[in-house]
Amino acid sequence: MRKFLHNVLFIEIMKALKLVFSHYFVKEVTLQYPHEKTLLPNTQRGALCLLRYEETQEERCVGCDLCGVACPSACITVVSEVDEKEGQIVRRYASSFDIDITKCVFCGFCVEACPVNALAMTKMYEYSTINKRDLIFDKNKLYDIGEKFHGEAKGYLVAHNQENEDEEIVSQYRYRFPASRQEDETEPEKKKAAPKLEAAVKTND
Amino acid sequence: MSSVNKQNASPDRKVELIDIVIDGKTVQAEEGSSLFNAIKWTGVELPAMCYHYSFSPFGSCGLCLVEVEGKKNNVRACTAKVIEGMVVNTQTEKMVDAQKAAIEKHLKTHPLDCPVCDKDGQCELQDMAYDLEVYDIKEGKRKVIPEDTRAVALDFNMERCILCGQCINVCKEVQLVDALCFYKKDKAKHVGAHGGETLDCEFCGDCLAVCPVGAIVNKFSKYTFKPWQLEKTETTCGFCSDGCTLTLETKAREIKVVTSELSYTSKFGFDIEAGDGHGGICVRGRFGFQYVMSDKRLTLPQVKNNGEFLEIPWFKAMIEIAKRLNDIKAAYGGDAIAGLISGRCTNESVYLFQRFMRSVLDTNNIDTAARYGHMNSVLALQETLKIGGATISLQELALSDAILMVGSDFTETNPITALRVKASMAEYGGKLMVAHNTETKMLKLATLPLQIAVGSESHFIQGLVKAVLSKGLADSDFIEKQPAAYTALKSAVAQISETVVAEKTGLEWEKIEEVAQTLALSKRGVLLWAEDIVSKTGAYQNVQRLIDLALLCGLFRKKGAGILPVCEENNEQGAVDMGAVPEFLPGQIPFDLEDERQRFESAWHATLPSASAKRPGLSLPEIIEAAHRGEIKALYLVGENPLGTLPASMKVREALEKIDLIICQDPFMSETAEIADYVLPVATFAENEGTYTNIVGDVNRVVEAFSPRDEVRPDWKIFSDLSKNLGHPIQYRAVEEIRAEINTLVPGYYRQDKTMQIGDLSEDFARHVADRYKTKENKKTDTTVTLSLQQSLYHSGKLSTHDENLMEINSKNFLQISPADAEALQAETGDLINIKSAFGQLEVKIEVAEALPKGLVCYPIHFNDPPVKDLMTVEVDAKSKAIYFRSIAVTLARSASLDLKVIASEKALQEREETESSAKAEQT
Repeated sequence: MRKFLHNVLFIEIMKALKLVFSHYFVKEVTLQYPHEKTLLPNTQRGALCLLRYEETQEERCVGCDLCGVACPSACITVVSEVDEKEGQIVRRYASSFDIDITKCVFCGFCVEACPVNALAMTKMYEYSTINKRDLIFDKNKLYDIGEKFHGEAKGYLVAHNQENEDEEIVSQYRYRFPASRQEDETEPEKKKAAPKLEAAVKTND
Repeated sequence: MSSVNKQNASPDRKVELIDIVIDGKTVQAEEGSSLFNAIKWTGVELPAMCYHYSFSPFGSCGLCLVEVEGKKNNVRACTAKVIEGMVVNTQTEKMVDAQKAAIEKHLKTHPLDCPVCDKDGQCELQDMAYDLEVYDIKEGKRKVIPEDTRAVALDFNMERCILCGQCINVCKEVQLVDALCFYKKDKAKHVGAHGGETLDCEFCGDCLAVCPVGAIVNKFSKYTFKPWQLEKTETTCGFCSDGCTLTLETKAREIKVVTSELSYTSKFGFDIEAGDGHGGICVRGRFGFQYVMSDKRLTLPQVKNNGEFLEIPWFKAMIEIAKRLNDIKAAYGGDAIAGLISGRCTNESVYLFQRFMRSVLDTNNIDTAARYGHMNSVLALQETLKIGGATISLQELALSDAILMVGSDFTETNPITALRVKASMAEYGGKLMVAHNTETKMLKLATLPLQIAVGSESHFIQGLVKAVLSKGLADSDFIEKQPAAYTALKSAVAQISETVVAEKTGLEWEKIEEVAQTLALSKRGVLLWAEDIVSKTGAYQNVQRLIDLALLCGLFRKKGAGILPVCEENNEQGAVDMGAVPEFLPGQIPFDLEDERQRFESAWHATLPSASAKRPGLSLPEIIEAAHRGEIKALYLVGENPLGTLPASMKVREALEKIDLIICQDPFMSETAEIADYVLPVATFAENEGTYTNIVGDVNRVVEAFSPRDEVRPDWKIFSDLSKNLGHPIQYRAVEEIRAEINTLVPGYYRQDKTMQIGDLSEDFARHVADRYKTKENKKTDTTVTLSLQQSLYHSGKLSTHDENLMEINSKNFLQISPADAEALQAETGDLINIKSAFGQLEVKIEVAEALPKGLVCYPIHFNDPPVKDLMTVEVDAKSKAIYFRSIAVTLARSASLDLKVIASEKALQEREETESSAKAEQT
């Protein structure tokens, strides 16, 4: 009897219709992707970027290549150089820094390895291109990303417990180059005197 | 299980083992040894930074804290000595906390510049903090001290320094140099030269190797690498005959740093046995790597065309050279071809070279750098005892109880073997006797310093032989077995006058007797001779006399005793062993031994050049003479540079210009290469595979750190290619195949435990022994000043002068002069003086050296500018054909320019002012 009634009154269909029409009143879930975007957590592992120190705008990276060593897919190549000023080394930096993002597995080991927190991951994931070569991110591009998505990168570092939001604490961990003592206080006179003699000898010849 | 204490490991000393309890386990330890060692042997990891097995415990870092029952405070395990019945706890919570606190203390003053520090990744402080999980490092008072970059090869970063004192101790106790110390400046403790002055030491760099943090920095590679980027290759040094094991650390085909065992082996010395070296290297090995990457290296074969060099490809060069060699061989025979090979080539290259020359070019005119001196030792030893080198090992040298060094500036020529000698004296309580005409570093350290007069080595040795015989100290075994030789010797030395010896050497006769007595009564005596004996006039006889002395003292019979003839270049011994001399086939087999010749002929599928008395093969001086006569038509030079090495009085240039074809195989464009017809670029030791034979006959492996740059090829490949083009192919796929061939022809050459089989004395010995003691009429010479060519610590041959780093450390082409002579000339360091010999005169800068006696001036043999070597005369030994050109009588005079200098300097100042003012005028 009950079965008959169910069949006659199209209860099943009504139930289905109820479910369908009830969705007219539910908040929509689908995102209109190019126009709308998902909210991502701070720990999201997106495109890599390089960072600068906020106050000096100096490159953080010292070109130590530890990221390259940590990388499981060997997609990072670093060439380091030093800047000299008056015979004293004042900066160590990466003269070239390339990440082959096609090889990258987004494990985040490089960020973890970085001793100066120069590398970070952003939430950026849109880098499709028609040229494969564009997917090898060079140093300039990485710094551009870092500038554009600075907040995201910072957020990543904080979320992964690598950097503190408190600037004061951060600055305590900052490295600096040792100043150089080239000559002794008493020595310059002697050193200046020596070349004169040599010059004299040469002119005599 | 027992712990070893290196300091007490002399074979004469009997150690008693005592029981102590560590963490509930009873272990045995040597009485008087460090508690730290005993704990380490149980397998417990104690943090420590100031401890090192090669010197005595210092106890400055305060990390190795342990609990000893019955003591209130924690005990530093390194400085504590083990006592019978001691109960030690290391793993209690209290101890771990104490160790953590100690590390925190260090970290609070340590700067956080790890990202740029060179030690990052190898830092002991970093590792210990990581192991013990010390992370709280942010608060603390960091030091701010400017980096000391005044010294030439090392930078001192005192911010990073943890004041462990390892550098100071290794310098003081291992090197016995004592160049470093703690000093106070601006209320902070520093490490540096005494009094805070600029460091000016030997720059061995052992302080750099033992530094647990990055406080001492290598100036030449500062900030250019990180440890994880470096590839390590363990190879053998290519400079001196010590044959030290180096670790070349390369990054992208460039050597960044050179390290050694000392930098990496466990500082706790688990596998260290008595007499082992400390694993360090010297200044040449550590800093002399730049020449491998030099821009001046040759990259392609070159042919001389109308006086200019043209680069040609290898195949063309090989075909052309082969054709010309073939033509010369067909027209004039093999005797018109000669070859010289340097003492720096690997054994395999030398072996292949002599096989190539003998079997393909049918000539026995081959020679090597050993002819400059070491051949004297080899030939004299072969003649008397049928051995061709040292009879002791390096361990035995360190454990010997008496060492007599004759004519050797050992710390300069062989700094690392010299450390064994220093250890034998300082650590194991041996007696060191040094006879030298200058006050060398070794002579200053010696227990019995014997500063003999210039040129009196021969008198000194004769005096020693007489003293041994006259005091009745001669070895009883020798008297029993060789009664004829003993009586002949005794009668021969009878006419040596004690007073004459004393007068000539400037030593008292009692002192000579004391030396003779010490050596003759020693249990493990070592007799060592070097360049001042073998490369100066009368060398062959002097070596023979030294062998007599060794026989009389029983040095060949006693265990642990022996002789050590020192050679200069890294593979001189190997070059002789591999038969690159006309006298020997590989394995030092006489060239005219018919059975052996047949063995080699069948192995090489060729006929050897005849060994008849008519054509015995020419040695180096004979090759030059023959070239002079126009008899040599082709000369193959492998790494040899006769123009740069031999004095002009030998008329080398004239001789070489008469040769039709000169092929020069060298990494650099040498003086001789410039007049060669073909120049072939070859690989250096870092790009080569093979072996070197060192001073005591150990064969050490040379490993390729990276493949040869550009078109450069290793020596053996060139010989192999040439032989193919000449129609007698000698083909190998790898160096291993050459090594296998050597192994079959010279059985056991590569064995590490090989010992010299000392032959019996020949019958001739007794017959001829008296000849060398017949006193010759000493020519009365009125020489007041002797010029001597000496080796410098910072250089080795001419090779090191191509190295930028070593030239930066030391490129002093100064004539060293004694204070007395300088005063007589009224000259000071840096002045030019005129030096004149029978062969010419030139002006040279002088440096006053306290160590020199009056009447001796020294010039480094490595430099040719000014060409001091051209003042020398050449003498050729009648017996060994060795060339002597290291000393000559000269007269010194005030240079004319010295008087003018004052005026000249004023003039120069005036000129400078004028140019400056004119420049200013132009600007305005």
